[in-house]
Amino acid sequence: MKNKFFIVALSLVTLITVNAQKRRDLKAMYHSQYSYEVSCLGVGQDGTKAIKVWGYGKNAEVAAFNAKKDAVAAVIFRGVPGGNGAAPTPAIVGMDGYEMNPDFFDEFFKAGGMYLSFINLTNDGVPSGEDRIKMEKGYKVAICASVNYDALRKYLEEKGIAKRLDAGF
Amino acid sequence: MTNINKYTYMKKSILFLLLIFVSVLSYGQAKKPTIMIVPSDNFCISQGYFTTININGADQKIPDYKKAFQENSQIRMVITKMGSIMSDRGFPLKDLEQTLKSIETEGAELSMLSSKSSGAAVKETPIDVLKRTAKADIIMDLDYTIKRQGPNQIITFNLRGLDAYTNKQVAAAAGVGSPSSFATADLLLEEAVLSYMDGFNGQLQKHFDDMFKNGREVMVVVRVWGNSDVDLETEYTVDGEKESLSTHIENWMSKNTVSGRFSTVDATENVLKMDQVRIPMMYTNSSGREIAMDTRRFVTNLNKYLSSAPFNIETKIYQRGLGEAWLIIGEK
Repeated sequence: MKNKFFIVALSLVTLITVNAQKRRDLKAMYHSQYSYEVSCLGVGQDGTKAIKVWGYGKNAEVAAFNAKKDAVAAVIFRGVPGGNGAAPTPAIVGMDGYEMNPDFFDEFFKAGGMYLSFINLTNDGVPSGEDRIKMEKGYKVAICASVNYDALRKYLEEKGIAKRLDAGF
Repeated sequence: MTNINKYTYMKKSILFLLLIFVSVLSYGQAKKPTIMIVPSDNFCISQGYFTTININGADQKIPDYKKAFQENSQIRMVITKMGSIMSDRGFPLKDLEQTLKSIETEGAELSMLSSKSSGAAVKETPIDVLKRTAKADIIMDLDYTIKRQGPNQIITFNLRGLDAYTNKQVAAAAGVGSPSSFATADLLLEEAVLSYMDGFNGQLQKHFDDMFKNGREVMVVVRVWGNSDVDLETEYTVDGEKESLSTHIENWMSKNTVSGRFSTVDATENVLKMDQVRIPMMYTNSSGREIAMDTRRFVTNLNKYLSSAPFNIETKIYQRGLGEAWLIIGEK
């Protein structure tokens, strides 16, 4: 009897731990600064990148807001994959860019922060249809954005965050 | 102190401070490579921009860049667009069309120039004439074709960044654009340039990063004059070690290159060819100033080593651009 109780209790504890672990992993994935879902829409106008970005949020508005932030973050930290006739674009600072300058990027990406000035255009308004996916807790939505890549690179170079091509020469 | 004296003193102080500021700015800057866009041989020949010359009985097609620039407006547009992007990144391009014009004018001016007092002409050896060509440290070899597929036009774009001295491809961008039925050829070309240049510059950045980390990759060749008493197999004793001259040169190279990195390609009694020689970007001279290093300066240091005991060899330095130099032993 004692043994049976012990086995049931152990199974319950294991199940709860595994579930909690799964939730933590999912939460970490949604909130990860490295998780950008980006695709290229084609060759943008001179100095810009036309991309489609997915964002997560409790509601569709928050998800769209996060997607806007991710559009700029993806261009800075991960680059844009090629597609629709456009070649891949390299990241401006690379993946370790945030760890190297956390204070700068926290300020840059704060609500209403400087990052907004590098988004030329988005299909604002809450997306619908296949660009709006209802999930168990919240929404995943996609926005199309035009990021001012050249101005963003220049700004980061001026601030000493990104390296100039002619640095050292 | 009178007002005039005070003014002069202030003026001198400002000038002195300005001089220091300029000197500080000029420190720590490595030699900047020059970049030039050159239409590829394939492009020139396929578009009919070539001349045929006979070399040892065999006809050879040589690209005629002047004709290409005079007759093809698309290539000029591509170069202008790429030039503006590179200039924005801090690397204004050396213009091939303008360089060719400048070489023509220089030749004409040199042939007409004479001194006022004796009427002497400017001294120029055949090698000086031969060296009057368009040169750059990195060549952006450009090639594109626009093909038609039904109602659509498709652009194939190929851009290669070649190190002129090591002949290595240091950056590249190539691919096929999206088919389009309404875009003009000029628009397709502009789209291709905008699409590929960021990736190309990303690779160029990696090349420069590697250069600053592991040194500039250059080529050093040691040759022997025909009338020299010594050759590369002549033996000398240094620190009790009796070795051939080429071995002593290799020992010097491993001490003076970044992490001792270089490869000997050929070694005979007359030629010692070393490539992948990683020279430091900067060095500190005897007065403690940090100065940019280039192949000529690096080989000058080897020249100093060979002119000292026990070698006491006289040498001539012959530079072939920023990244290649020859040291010819025997005499100046």
